[in-house]
Amino acid sequence: MASQMLLSLLVFYFYSFHLARPIHCSLGSNGIDTASVSKEEFSEELLLKPLPDRKVLAHFHFTSTSPPSASNGRHHHLFPKSIAQLVKKYKIKELELSFTQGRWNYDRWGASDPLSTRNAKPPGVELWARFDVLTKEEIDTTWGNLTNSLSGLFCASINFLESSTSHSTPLWGFLPNNGDLRYGALPREAVCTENLTPWLKLLPCRDKAGIATLLDRPSIYRGHYHSQRLKLRSDRLNGIVIEQTLSAVLQPSDRTSWSMYQLFKKIITEKCALAKSSRVFVEIEGNLGSKNENILELVGEADMVVNDQNGHSTIYQYNVERYSEHEPLDIMVNWRDPLQLSFLQAPFHASRFLMGSGNERGSIAISLQSARNFTKGLYDGSNNCFTKVVVFQVVPWYVKVYYHTLRIYVDGEIRDTKDVVEKINITPSEDKVSPGTLEMMLRFPCGMISAALTLDFDKGFLHIDEYPPDANQGFDIPSALVSFPDFISSRIYPDSISSPLLHSYKGRNVVKSYTEVLLVPLTTPDFSMPYNVITFTCTVLALYFGSMINVLRRRISEEERLAKSNDKRRPGFIPLLISRITNKIRGRKEDLADQSQSSQPLLGHKVIFKVVLIAVVATLWHYFLNTS
Amino acid sequence: MATEKARSSNPMGLQLRRFLLILFSLFVVLPLSSPSPTMHNNNWAVLVCTSRFWFNYRHMANTLSLYRTVKRLGIPDERIILMLADDMACNSRNNYPAQVFNNENHQLNLYGDNVEVDYRGYEVTVENFLRVLTGRHEAAVPRSKRLLSDEGSHILLYMTGHGGNEFLKFQDTEELQSHDLADAVKQMKEKNRFKELLIMVDTCQAATLFSQLQSPGVVAIGSSMKGENSYSHHLDPDVGVSVVDRFTFYTLAFFERLDMYSNASLNSLFTSYDPTLLMSTAYYRMDLYERPLNTVPVTNFFGSVMKTIPTDSAYTGFSVAHASEYTTLNAESAPSRAVLEDQVDHIKTHSQSGKGLQHSLNEWLKLLEGKIGEKDNDKLVAYGLGSMVLFLAISTWLSS
Repeated sequence: MASQMLLSLLVFYFYSFHLARPIHCSLGSNGIDTASVSKEEFSEELLLKPLPDRKVLAHFHFTSTSPPSASNGRHHHLFPKSIAQLVKKYKIKELELSFTQGRWNYDRWGASDPLSTRNAKPPGVELWARFDVLTKEEIDTTWGNLTNSLSGLFCASINFLESSTSHSTPLWGFLPNNGDLRYGALPREAVCTENLTPWLKLLPCRDKAGIATLLDRPSIYRGHYHSQRLKLRSDRLNGIVIEQTLSAVLQPSDRTSWSMYQLFKKIITEKCALAKSSRVFVEIEGNLGSKNENILELVGEADMVVNDQNGHSTIYQYNVERYSEHEPLDIMVNWRDPLQLSFLQAPFHASRFLMGSGNERGSIAISLQSARNFTKGLYDGSNNCFTKVVVFQVVPWYVKVYYHTLRIYVDGEIRDTKDVVEKINITPSEDKVSPGTLEMMLRFPCGMISAALTLDFDKGFLHIDEYPPDANQGFDIPSALVSFPDFISSRIYPDSISSPLLHSYKGRNVVKSYTEVLLVPLTTPDFSMPYNVITFTCTVLALYFGSMINVLRRRISEEERLAKSNDKRRPGFIPLLISRITNKIRGRKEDLADQSQSSQPLLGHKVIFKVVLIAVVATLWHYFLNTS
Repeated sequence: MATEKARSSNPMGLQLRRFLLILFSLFVVLPLSSPSPTMHNNNWAVLVCTSRFWFNYRHMANTLSLYRTVKRLGIPDERIILMLADDMACNSRNNYPAQVFNNENHQLNLYGDNVEVDYRGYEVTVENFLRVLTGRHEAAVPRSKRLLSDEGSHILLYMTGHGGNEFLKFQDTEELQSHDLADAVKQMKEKNRFKELLIMVDTCQAATLFSQLQSPGVVAIGSSMKGENSYSHHLDPDVGVSVVDRFTFYTLAFFERLDMYSNASLNSLFTSYDPTLLMSTAYYRMDLYERPLNTVPVTNFFGSVMKTIPTDSAYTGFSVAHASEYTTLNAESAPSRAVLEDQVDHIKTHSQSGKGLQHSLNEWLKLLEGKIGEKDNDKLVAYGLGSMVLFLAISTWLSS
């Protein structure tokens, strides 16, 4: 009964809301067109994708849109106010912030489908932002303020990106721009519940209702990879759009089947009442009609099944509003033969590692291994076919890279850099001022099996205050980004599904992959050494100066004289006598009154007074009693 | 000679002192009729875990336990500055991701679902700690990372980590010395950043850390005396390390029995520590603190329960607000407003003249009550007993 009443109330609420909307819009200047624009919208989606290695990818996708703010002023209905203020204050055009732990396994979980190209992020925190109409100096100060604000908002040390040593200004290697982009990464930043809490607070229903209820902290953080992301875009035409995604690769406890309840320890009972749409998708790679049908079985009837236009994948859609507390949504998947599940690899597998030994120098190597099925498909035997590869890496200043030592090997043979490098942009590092940035566009022949780039570097020395508390662990160098601009990942689904998640799949997503984080051991001083030195030198100095001053300033004869006079003074008979005599002569009476007798007479007076008083009272009483 | 002189001038001094005392007492009585100093009106908590590395798990568990306790007792997240030097919850060594336990029974996940950490990892430095206390931040630092307390604030400062004689180690690299702490507290006092401050330290030789404090309104408690160690309580075989320190464990045991409205006093907390269970001597310093500890509820620091003041008439408060809010009243209501303001003034100044006689009488009674309750309790009882004896003697003598 109660739930029915609640439901009817909800329905009424929405009905009235929809009724009210046209009236509100008619007040606006131009009719129906603004009606669709001037409304804040929120939608929640979850995509579950079985991975070939029997793991499951859960991808939460929340979208909030806010119309150009003139109509609402400062007030927001669904849109998070803190974000709107941020955008307004710092004139942000685009921003992406990601918190990731674990590394996306490009070989097993896919590398050239939109989900991985859009959502795979390097470990730690990555932040980039583009600003609107600001000069370079303004952008730098705004970036500093932005990082501080974000660090307060998301409980993370993003403010470390404020310093010029930790952020860079890539021109085209990361994203084509005109100098208004700033990029920074903190590879060692921890990601945990405290980052998720403020992220969830941006959702209108938080994690109290709707799909976000599934976000059970221990289940999510037990996963092999989790990445929490906030992406926002703002322009004058569309207002602000924020995309909040959380991707987690989870290991089901049972190897043959899993359900949503087993994965998250929670189930969806209702949609977030404020969401425009609330849907759960199950994406299965490969064509519906082909062998994947035999590989796994989906338990639970989908509302809609659609295929990608290119036949790469199939999507099963479940509308959350159909489900209730009595009939919760719990999708179950039974594996038959997961190893057969196909997935799309990137053209090259990119990895980065360190070479050399010792604490003085070394070199960074980036290796590209071509994926077999790609070379087969693309190589036509001619020499005119080329594949473009863009490498972008930021290296902190204490790893002093010598860019002239760049060597490029193709299939094991060294090549002249002029033949391979099409475009290069280097910003060398400046000690304690800025990191070194490398943006490089390479052109490899199509039939290439493997390629490697090496760069030599010297290890710098840090000031003792600049070492982190766990310097012994080594220093992390942020991931490099290797992108393949010739390869575009997109999935085109019929327009009948108006889903922001699937819509984002349509875009031109360049295939890219992040390399590993490098761990560079630097020479760390013995931190107790300065103290030893200080104490030791201080002792020596004190001994030296003490004795020197003693020798130079000490006058022994004077001391002896002083000692003698002191000996004379010690009995002190004469002065005492004199003082006593003078006292006697001058004011013996005062002295006496002051010293010994002063308090006693006072006391005596008091006592006598009291005794007399009591006696008087007593006699009076006696007299009074007698007379009566 | 000097002492003799001093002795000789003693009686004069005594008389002078008496005179001064009378004068002083006059001054004490007089200002009582003017508004009293700022009331306690908000609570803040600064909880600091200064240790890095996995084997210091217990320090983070200590801090998070306190965090949970003060949150349970009513201090909201935006008034808690939580500093954690390392990430234990999502540490790769943690077998229970996103969970932190302070007991091997694993009944309570301290990390919960809604934890908000303000300073973490490399940000937990002596510099940042002192900046938080003194409020001297760079302009860009967001509000959530600042201690925005005022002269009516009660602040709980809890610190745990590895300490020694007059210092506390931050992350194995820096030390906070007792002089630094005392200096920061002094600055806070001068900037009116707190009304009362409770410093609670769970480290080895904790009592030495607050030996340099001078500022009034500060009460401090440490887990151990100089030369003593503070020990961990027990080891959790599943987590693999010790999960809580003894001092914090017994503090929590005390607080688990309390809810937001309990009246347990600070004194009862301080006396609840048993040196044999603690394996160290909990030491508290209260010479800088004016109020007797048995009258101060623990929720004055560990919770956010405001003192409610009963008013004589239900609507005075509203009328005050009303009067101050609507300054542009029309001519008809102006006289009534004047009367209201008048009343308010009477309440404020406790003057006996005018219409607020009832109020002022009441205020005098309160004042008397306060005076009696505060200081002269024993004296009054003694006088009462004496007069009773006298009265009895006289009456018996009369009847006989």
